[in-house]
Amino acid sequence: MNSLALTLLILPMTGSLLAFILGKIDKRYAFWSAEFLGLALFLITLKLYSSYSEPIDIAFTWFTLGSLSIPFGIYIDELSLVMLLIATGLGFLDIHFAHDYMADDPHQPRYYAKVLFFIGGMILLVSAKDMVSLFMGWEFMGLASYLLISFWHQQKAPADAGVSAFLFTRFGDIFLFAAIGMLFYLTGTLDLMSLNSMATAGDIDKDMMYLVAVFIFIAAIGKSGQFPLFPWLMRAMEGPTTVSALIHGATMVNSGIYIVARLFDFYVAAEALLVVAAFGAISAFIGATSALVQSELKKVLAYSTMSHLSLAFIGLGAGSLAAGMTHLVNHALFKALLFLGAGAIIMSASHVKDMWRFGGYSKKMLFVSIAMAFGALSLSGIPPFSGFYSKDAIIATTLLNSETSGLISSLTLIAGVLSVAYISRLWLLTFAGENRDSELFAKVKKPSFFWITLPLLVMAFATFAMGFMQEGIIEMVSGSVAEEEHVNGLLFGLLSAIALLAIIVYYYYVKRLDITKKIASQPLMKAIHKLLFNGYFVEFFIHYFVKNVVVGSFAKTIHWIDKNIVDATVNGSKEFARVVKGYLMKTHSGQTSDNSGTMILGVLLLLVAVLVGGVL
Amino acid sequence: MSAIEIIFFPFVLALGLSLFFRGESNVSKFAALGLFSYMLSFSLSLFEQLPEEGYLLLGEFLKVERFDFVLRLQVDMLSTIMLTLTSVLLILVALSSWSMKNQALYFSLLIMFSGAIFGLFMSTNLLWFFIFWELTLVPMYFLVGVWGAERRIFAAVKFFLYTHFASMLILVAFFLIYKESGAFDFTLVRESMLLSPVLIWWLLFIGFAVKMPIFPFHTWLPDAHVQAPAPISVLLAGVLLKMGAYAMIRLVILLLPETSQQYAWVILTLGLITMFYAAFMAIYETHLKKMVAYSSISHMGLVVIAISTMSYAGLSAALYEMIGHAFIIAPLFLIAGFFHHKTGSWEMRDMGGIMQKAPYISAIFVLAGLGALGLPGTMGFVGELSILISAVKSFGLWMIVVALGSMLGAGYIIWTLRRVIYGEMSEVVKATNFKMNMMEFLALAIFALFIILFGIMPNTLFEYINPAFSQFSSLGGAL
Amino acid sequence: MISAFTLLFAFALMSIALHRSIFLKPFALLGIGLAFYASYLTQGIALSGFSLEENIRLFELIVLVVLFALVLHEEDDITITQILFIGTSSMLLLESQTLLSFILSFESLSLISVILVTQIKTKEQADGAIKMFIAGSLATGILFLGVAFYLIGGGSLLTPLAQETNSFETLGILLMLGGLFYKLTIIPFHSWAVDSYALVRHSHAALLSGLAKTVVAIAVFKVFAPFLMLHSDLTNPILITVALLTMTLGNFLALFRKNIALMLSYSSIAHAGYLLLAFVAVKSEFAKDGILYISIAYIFMQSAAFLVLDILKKHYAISRLEELKGFASQNAILAFMFTIQLFSLAGIPLLAGFLGKAVVFYAVVDAGLWWVALIALLNSALSVGYYAWVVKGMYFDSFSAKEMAFVEIKLPMSAQFILAVGTLYFGIFASTVFGV
Repeated sequence: MNSLALTLLILPMTGSLLAFILGKIDKRYAFWSAEFLGLALFLITLKLYSSYSEPIDIAFTWFTLGSLSIPFGIYIDELSLVMLLIATGLGFLDIHFAHDYMADDPHQPRYYAKVLFFIGGMILLVSAKDMVSLFMGWEFMGLASYLLISFWHQQKAPADAGVSAFLFTRFGDIFLFAAIGMLFYLTGTLDLMSLNSMATAGDIDKDMMYLVAVFIFIAAIGKSGQFPLFPWLMRAMEGPTTVSALIHGATMVNSGIYIVARLFDFYVAAEALLVVAAFGAISAFIGATSALVQSELKKVLAYSTMSHLSLAFIGLGAGSLAAGMTHLVNHALFKALLFLGAGAIIMSASHVKDMWRFGGYSKKMLFVSIAMAFGALSLSGIPPFSGFYSKDAIIATTLLNSETSGLISSLTLIAGVLSVAYISRLWLLTFAGENRDSELFAKVKKPSFFWITLPLLVMAFATFAMGFMQEGIIEMVSGSVAEEEHVNGLLFGLLSAIALLAIIVYYYYVKRLDITKKIASQPLMKAIHKLLFNGYFVEFFIHYFVKNVVVGSFAKTIHWIDKNIVDATVNGSKEFARVVKGYLMKTHSGQTSDNSGTMILGVLLLLVAVLVGGVL
Repeated sequence: MSAIEIIFFPFVLALGLSLFFRGESNVSKFAALGLFSYMLSFSLSLFEQLPEEGYLLLGEFLKVERFDFVLRLQVDMLSTIMLTLTSVLLILVALSSWSMKNQALYFSLLIMFSGAIFGLFMSTNLLWFFIFWELTLVPMYFLVGVWGAERRIFAAVKFFLYTHFASMLILVAFFLIYKESGAFDFTLVRESMLLSPVLIWWLLFIGFAVKMPIFPFHTWLPDAHVQAPAPISVLLAGVLLKMGAYAMIRLVILLLPETSQQYAWVILTLGLITMFYAAFMAIYETHLKKMVAYSSISHMGLVVIAISTMSYAGLSAALYEMIGHAFIIAPLFLIAGFFHHKTGSWEMRDMGGIMQKAPYISAIFVLAGLGALGLPGTMGFVGELSILISAVKSFGLWMIVVALGSMLGAGYIIWTLRRVIYGEMSEVVKATNFKMNMMEFLALAIFALFIILFGIMPNTLFEYINPAFSQFSSLGGAL
Repeated sequence: MISAFTLLFAFALMSIALHRSIFLKPFALLGIGLAFYASYLTQGIALSGFSLEENIRLFELIVLVVLFALVLHEEDDITITQILFIGTSSMLLLESQTLLSFILSFESLSLISVILVTQIKTKEQADGAIKMFIAGSLATGILFLGVAFYLIGGGSLLTPLAQETNSFETLGILLMLGGLFYKLTIIPFHSWAVDSYALVRHSHAALLSGLAKTVVAIAVFKVFAPFLMLHSDLTNPILITVALLTMTLGNFLALFRKNIALMLSYSSIAHAGYLLLAFVAVKSEFAKDGILYISIAYIFMQSAAFLVLDILKKHYAISRLEELKGFASQNAILAFMFTIQLFSLAGIPLLAGFLGKAVVFYAVVDAGLWWVALIALLNSALSVGYYAWVVKGMYFDSFSAKEMAFVEIKLPMSAQFILAVGTLYFGIFASTVFGV
């Protein structure tokens, strides 16, 4: 098993290099090597899964620093395995899907190399035994995300989006980096399992633990696109849709939740879960409301991702590892489905992303529309799709937990219900009604079945089937099946709210689009629309702060000081010397009389000195 | 060649080459390459001969008993590592200078520099140490002044004068050491022999701080870096600054441990200021090479922080970061210089989209940039991680501010990459042909390889680095 | 055996007969060579009142080497003879043992120097010569005033300088020092030197500022050191002030000079300050080594530098810094030699100038005056500013507009070669100096 696990770790990295080199020989080799490797990784994971008996635990010393040793280890338990299945399974489907999606791109070797590198990073993260390997995987993914978002680097928007993604997540990452230092100082170990057990046993100072937990959570916020570090996620939609599906919908963004889940005992002991839940609730609300008004297909999905990841955070924050993690798993699947579906639409529609130019596309791509409907249903939380169970569990948990039952549970509820609205809006605007841009519509091509539709159908089936496997998932992610917790009337209330919303959305977006437009043109609605459309101006504020305060004021001041004080002192020494020289020049007239005069003066001074010295 | 020959032969060779050859000269190039390769094999062979602890005596020359003025060549692990690093860098610098103008003189000066720097790292006599310390300035002065960019003369003179002034403090300190201890050989000097360790400490600290450089004595470096030809910037950052760090470790921390302990807070504070100050300077900078120069200073700030811990782990981390910094900053300088050479501009706004024209060179630039911001998988990360851990271990939790430095690093590096490498091609870039000499590219590729190789397998370096400070291990980490 | 002094004197007298003959130069070189041989092989036969010590003998040899180079360089017949005479009186001065012989040989050296510069061809040279003459006579007056006080106090001219002195003697000795410092161009007796060195012929300036100065410094140190050692409480404050003032003034005034000769004159004054530090540190056992070493270094580098100026003026008509631009590409070897000497003057290691300064400054530290050494070192660092600027002109700047023809300069170049070897040799092999 150990060798298999190591293979899993090394394969994508070497494969990434291989795909690039082969791809340089012939473009198609890049795809095929990636496809093959993706499949191999998935099969290895399946093998690990099927023969799982006890956690795989491998520990190395990465390097010795003086007398300290820095560990590097692998730990694969059931929680890791679930994440591995998601990463490799969806990764494989994503590569498969990219065959057509990236077909016209001249830089395929680079693309597949980066995707494989990304999968490698994700595998490293979820099978990390200690903070160091965890951080490595964490950063590898961040790098891959950066490189893939700005894959089309020759254009301005993707290049900018890459910068934004890197810097926002990096801001979070340094807190994780700092947390490594803190943990090393506080506990002397970086092993995740020992940290959990030490925390439970109360071996660590509680306040410090709380601080560490918050630090790690900040990193999680950055990576999972939570308030206030989410704007990069929306910008990341500039990347290829396959990338958005894999990285910014299904896998990397989950790592924030994964890390909290991995250190769940630590968080419980540190009593830091409320912070998680609170930030989750704010993010869920922001995400859900902003998703309502977006016009770009992928942006809706991006905000929805933010909102649903928040739900998972809330689940964890409210104290239920099972609820949070199951939602994570479910979400990964249906969000990958939705993103890839969106990719299919965008690809067919000559890379137009604006939903207002779509409409009636189910005529052109029926299977895609069905698959996306499955995804939408699951996202909305309609039974028996998988999304229903986890969402329900999260809301129930928040209501039952006394700490989260007030504001947090209300925000959760709103976010949960609103997801129906935005996803039906998305589906209806795209597939239902009349097409709103006939020129574009005419050009829409039917996607290939094997390369495009098949992976979507596979995922659609899976998201449906998973609805019936929830207990198994819960057991895997949390180690035990928790007792079902119910809140009376919740199910009924939720379902009727969902139905009602779906009908309203259908009415306004399909039947009476004119009314929608009229409402939207009201000044108040316009203002609200603007607020939501721009994601509550969070990016604007952060950007303003960085540009004007950090760079414009702080860095500028330091620059000024350096130039006009520190360096000016040095460079000014030349002028100083010139001035001194000027004064000293006055001692030398070049006249013979003055020369003699100074000599005589010197003798006189000597006499004075001798007198003062007491010789005479 | 024996140790003494390897120091003085380069001077003779340099003189010969500069007298008998003019302009383009393959002989000079290959002579330099051959000499540097020999130096590398020489340094590597030293590793096998080193004793478990202490110094390996390579010989005593030019003895003046009465003044203890003896060229005593002794090496230990620390100096052998520095010798190896230097010879590797010299080889790569020679490769990246392949298409330099007026090669005969250029490579002669490079060869002269190599002799001086070898003397510096091998000599344990303070007076000879100082002689070699100063001697490195001369070839550097010419290399910057003759082959530099527009304001090369200003930069060369400023560099020469500034560092020379600082050296004077060092010389006084050495004199005081000799007066009070009766020995110029620092292996024989113990702090307890000294009557005025505090005075000596300050003189040495400021003297070496200029070379490292530490705020507020850093301003010569951006000018020198910017004006120097790219390979010489590599030499400045990779060797000259390391000289400062080496001296700081050897003659401040190891020679005067008690006073250093007393003033550790001074080193630490200045290290932190240097790191953040330079990082903010880099953020505001739009001049590509200046940005790299400030990034270099910022990383030296990290080295200073690591040195200030005065612990086994901290000094090991400092040495690792010194090596890592040399390898990471080198390709940044080389490529920045290359871009300038091709586009004729230093300003980032004139660049952009170079990735489309020169993908491999740009990729190495990106890699080195990522190394500079401390991304795992590169030497930068290992350096930052070890420094963070050792600093936290020595000074407590608040040292996690070190992590903030790497955030600022990400800020200027990523934004620079965006402006220079990525995005739409600027008009200038469109009109430029980015063709690089194969030898120069080879040097870049080797740097890139090192960054990754030692970033993934740092223990190959730490196996040598740790023993360099093994005298600390028995003292439980701190002095 | 015949002493170096006798040989030189004989050859100097005979050389007059050989003027306007091509044999003059070989004859003079032969004389110096024989003197070197004599001095090297034998203890010499000291005249009464003169003696030889090991370090003085070493310095004599060095002086002879430099004389050799100077003669090699020189093309003017009269000057060659005068060089031999100056050599003769230098030997005398170095070997003098009693106060009387010391004063007499010092005066003879001064006189020959004055005669040397009175070979006036231009108005500038007249200016320089007259300034030197007036200052010299004034200094002689001061010297004799000092002698008078010394004698009043009961001192004797026929013995070495007294150590235990009464007030009159002390005053006398101090005044004597003042008179002697004129030759060393110590503040406030320095003003004449600025103009004289820069205005007279450069090869004469090489003799005056390179050779005469160091010979006087060594001799004065030899004679006065025992006295200073005993009275350092009184003299040190004065000497420290004067030394620091001299070097600071010299260095600052040398900055930003366009005229290379003027710059070198000021730098010569600055170096006088460093020389004086050996007197400050007289208590240290290294003071003697210091004055010897810095004199050896200085005699090589300063003579060489002025001789280079002579070549530049004669063969390239260069006297200003901007005309020197790109000179390295015109005559790489001369530029290289000049660079060596300038860096040596600046105190860059592996050249004699560095070790000379280092030993003197160490002596100062050893005497417990580290701060004086620090100020001196910073001064030395400042001097790099102008020396490096000349080097910068030769190497970094591109050619000046003036087209320069290639000139064959054989003998002066070999003189340069000898001096450069000296500078390099004493920069590396310190044991030659410390061994004696």
